[in-house]
Amino acid sequence: MRSVYILFLSLILIVSFTFADSDYHENLILEPLTPALLLASFNFRSNASQPSFEQQHFQYIPRSLGQILQHANTKELHLRFSTGKWDAESWGARPWRGAKEGGTGVELWAWVEADSDEKAFANWITLNNALSGLFCASLNFIDSTRTTRPVMTFEPAGDHANSSLSTLHLLHGTLPREVVCTENLTPFLKLLPCKGKAGISTLLDGHKLFDASWQTMSIDVRPVCPAHGSECYIEMEQAVDMVLDIERSKRPRDNPIPRPVPHEELACDKSKPYADFDGCYPLDVSSDQSWSLSEVFGRPIRGSCLATDASHRATESVCLNVRHERDVWTSGGAIENKKASGQSRCFTLHETNLFEMNLPQQSTETIIRPEPPVYASRSFTGHGQERGGVQTLLTNPSTTLPIEFMYFETLPWFMKPYLHTLTARLSTVAIPDPSIIKSMYYRPALDRRRGTQLECLISVPPASTVVLTYDFDKAILRYTEYPPDANRGFDVAPAVIRILPPSGAESAATSEADFLRTTSLLLSLPTPDFSMPYNVIILTSTVMALAFGMVFNLLVRRFVGADEVEGYDLSKLRSKIGARIIALKDRLTRRR
Amino acid sequence: MVLDRRKIGLFGAAAVLRLVLFVAFPSLPKLLAGRVEISTPITSFKRLQEGLFLYTHNVSPYDGGIFHQAPLLLPLFGLIPTAAFAPLTSLLYILLDLLSAEALAQIADSGESRQTRLYKSPRRDLSWDGATVGAAYLFNPLTIAACLGRPTSLFTNCALLYAIAKACERRAFMAMVALGLASYLSLYPALFLPPLIILCFDARYKTGNQVPSVLSFALTHTIAFLGSIACFLLESFLLTGGSWEFISSTYGVHLLLPDLTPNVGLWWYFFIEMFDSFREFFLGVFWLHLGGYVGGLCVRLRTQPLFVITTLLGLCAIFKPYPSISDTALYLSLLPCYRHIFPLMRYTFFALATLLYASLLGPAFYYLWIYAGSGNANFFYAITLVWSLGLSVIVSDSLFAVLRDEWEVERPEMKGKDVRQI
Repeated sequence: MRSVYILFLSLILIVSFTFADSDYHENLILEPLTPALLLASFNFRSNASQPSFEQQHFQYIPRSLGQILQHANTKELHLRFSTGKWDAESWGARPWRGAKEGGTGVELWAWVEADSDEKAFANWITLNNALSGLFCASLNFIDSTRTTRPVMTFEPAGDHANSSLSTLHLLHGTLPREVVCTENLTPFLKLLPCKGKAGISTLLDGHKLFDASWQTMSIDVRPVCPAHGSECYIEMEQAVDMVLDIERSKRPRDNPIPRPVPHEELACDKSKPYADFDGCYPLDVSSDQSWSLSEVFGRPIRGSCLATDASHRATESVCLNVRHERDVWTSGGAIENKKASGQSRCFTLHETNLFEMNLPQQSTETIIRPEPPVYASRSFTGHGQERGGVQTLLTNPSTTLPIEFMYFETLPWFMKPYLHTLTARLSTVAIPDPSIIKSMYYRPALDRRRGTQLECLISVPPASTVVLTYDFDKAILRYTEYPPDANRGFDVAPAVIRILPPSGAESAATSEADFLRTTSLLLSLPTPDFSMPYNVIILTSTVMALAFGMVFNLLVRRFVGADEVEGYDLSKLRSKIGARIIALKDRLTRRR
Repeated sequence: MVLDRRKIGLFGAAAVLRLVLFVAFPSLPKLLAGRVEISTPITSFKRLQEGLFLYTHNVSPYDGGIFHQAPLLLPLFGLIPTAAFAPLTSLLYILLDLLSAEALAQIADSGESRQTRLYKSPRRDLSWDGATVGAAYLFNPLTIAACLGRPTSLFTNCALLYAIAKACERRAFMAMVALGLASYLSLYPALFLPPLIILCFDARYKTGNQVPSVLSFALTHTIAFLGSIACFLLESFLLTGGSWEFISSTYGVHLLLPDLTPNVGLWWYFFIEMFDSFREFFLGVFWLHLGGYVGGLCVRLRTQPLFVITTLLGLCAIFKPYPSISDTALYLSLLPCYRHIFPLMRYTFFALATLLYASLLGPAFYYLWIYAGSGNANFFYAITLVWSLGLSVIVSDSLFAVLRDEWEVERPEMKGKDVRQI
């Protein structure tokens, strides 16, 4: 009897160990960036053991995504949907050090396993088409003109076996024109175990998310092999980061139209010279506004995800990064845990109750966010639709250390850069400095087949700004290659900056790199007249026919004197026509 | 001696004028090198610099969509040290202009335009000597603008003029090699092979009594032409590191027109507005149209092969895929050799006025479309149509004049009388 009991217990332990590999964690971090803005970072992490993934026992990693990855032979996937602009000067460093951020639109990079480049590209196309169906995004437009193979910028985030590294191909595709909206959020939520019905994912609503000043949705799937020798597992991480304008988010849902604030309620800066007249300079919001989860997100958190699952352990799922002095009222029986750093507190949610968090108005200091390692901004120079230039300003705020980073740009094929005009100089000096660009990888564009790929290793001295400029020519496209709104322009993908860990630091410990992306650019190309295809064909053909006709007539006909042949004698012709007209007139008058 | 001094004086003045323009207006060469009338995607100086930069940095310039020029130009320009690149290239282009003018002077002095083996013009006393013809080329504003803009089509022009000059001087083999070089640099000079062979034949056997078969002469010289092209292609193959990808990047661009940058020709807007399913058909039609003139002109004007070449140059300046004003300048430079038929031309004023109109309004309308944004592409397209019409009027008018001149040999009493064609 006892032996059976021990056997049964050991069986349960074994089963629980195998099921412990399938794990799910979710976390929400709320952090006021300024008194008026709130950064909300949602993080959902699911694990699955390698054998269960390969045998298609999908528990927390969804079957839809897992089967796509297996079918396309993809070992590591990173997918990003972004809109908005991160204001680094006001808001500081990006969340997750930029690792979960993507360029405006959709950005996708993956390590695909294949024997040759062509097979890797075929797998990549399969992956794009399948993901485009899964996420209702136009990822199928990532073709060879929008795909590059970066050499120096991206490193695998997962642990791949050394033997497989030679068959792994990195492919990177970007769609800067893609508009991210609710139809991309809904499949994203469907990938979660609780599918947006319980836990922190109940806060994600399309109305609030896409009204944010900056938002990113990211999906990372990678294999992880822990250092202490236990077996490898597949980790899928979904994250949503958004910067909400508290004032705008508090606007009620049934009255979303912004109405002008009455004159008496305007907060004006009285120190300006025109403050007494009709002018009003808006006053910076200096004191913390009051907000609550229902006001900002439109609804409270409904329970905790997977609370009824026996194997799931309850963890702290909501963290709030405000000083301990700030008053926070919560409801729903959550357990609060103030952290020792004095700057954050975390809540463990009740399984089923609604969790509401309320912060009344109070002026406390906001927590100083870390400074970003580099500031980057990119813009077009020049005017006209024939040629232009690109200028990137890279500032190193540190006063002591130089910074080295990879600068990766992928340009569409109709933007033809002149690499011999690429110069890097310090903003204070007029002559280019050859020591700024340490190395460069350049792959020129081929018309209608692939875009330009430029990767530079750039080093910026401390407390200085580097100006990187180059010229380019704008191509004129064929009639059918213009989008329906041709005069809007074409989007150029943002530049990706990967800050390398400072040399000398242990590469294993600081293997996580900082990422940064500039804004995308809008390139206006010369357009033909779209109403003219038939007219152009006939006009050009007319000119060609005229020239050919003249030459042909001259070559084929023979000369004769003007009086030697009967020709069109003008006076005789005139008299003939006159006679005909008179005859016609007579007939008409006779009839009457 | 007097003539020589006059020639040296004229050529020297032209060189000094160009030097002064290069030095006194330092932004003018860059401005002109950026104009679409002067640089085309296959001849642009800025693209040559880009190709040179990639070539010297071990990236194949033909693996991209920017550089479409012949590989032999790369080591030529690679020899010029980068420190003095701008002044030395200006000197190189001035030298090119002078060489072209010298070749023109040789063509004019040889008298081939007035008297060939089978034809003697009744008006052959009215002519300009070589120095005048060379000066007319050198002081043509189109030529000066092209020299300042430094397109690589000037190399083709020089090679073509050299080929014609050598043919007039009875050095047929050198003529074939020069024509091979011109065809290697830009594809279209291959169309001039038949008239050039006839010119070589006529010049060679001008004085002799026994005249061998044209066919064997043509065959040997065609083989020489093809052999020289093969040599140039082989050298390019070795220069680009043993790959043939430069062929699709250079000659493929002429044939398939992937780059639709506006120029003074008729092709770009037509193929912008063309739907994709008809593209190959119309490319074939346009090339067939251009190639169709060769046979007819050679047969009809068998007795005056130099004029066939001149007319073909004019037609190519209008109807080739990426024309520019350097091609027009080349055509207009050979016309003064036919001074004797100028009195027979009927529409000179009209044609020159049209060309003036187009050359003044062209840059203005281009500015309106591309920079001001208040005009659209049709404005500039209309100007290209007017320019092409003006040039084709000149071509057909000069053809009429030469044919009339020929006809007056058999009907000398019709001099000065009205004539018609039936």
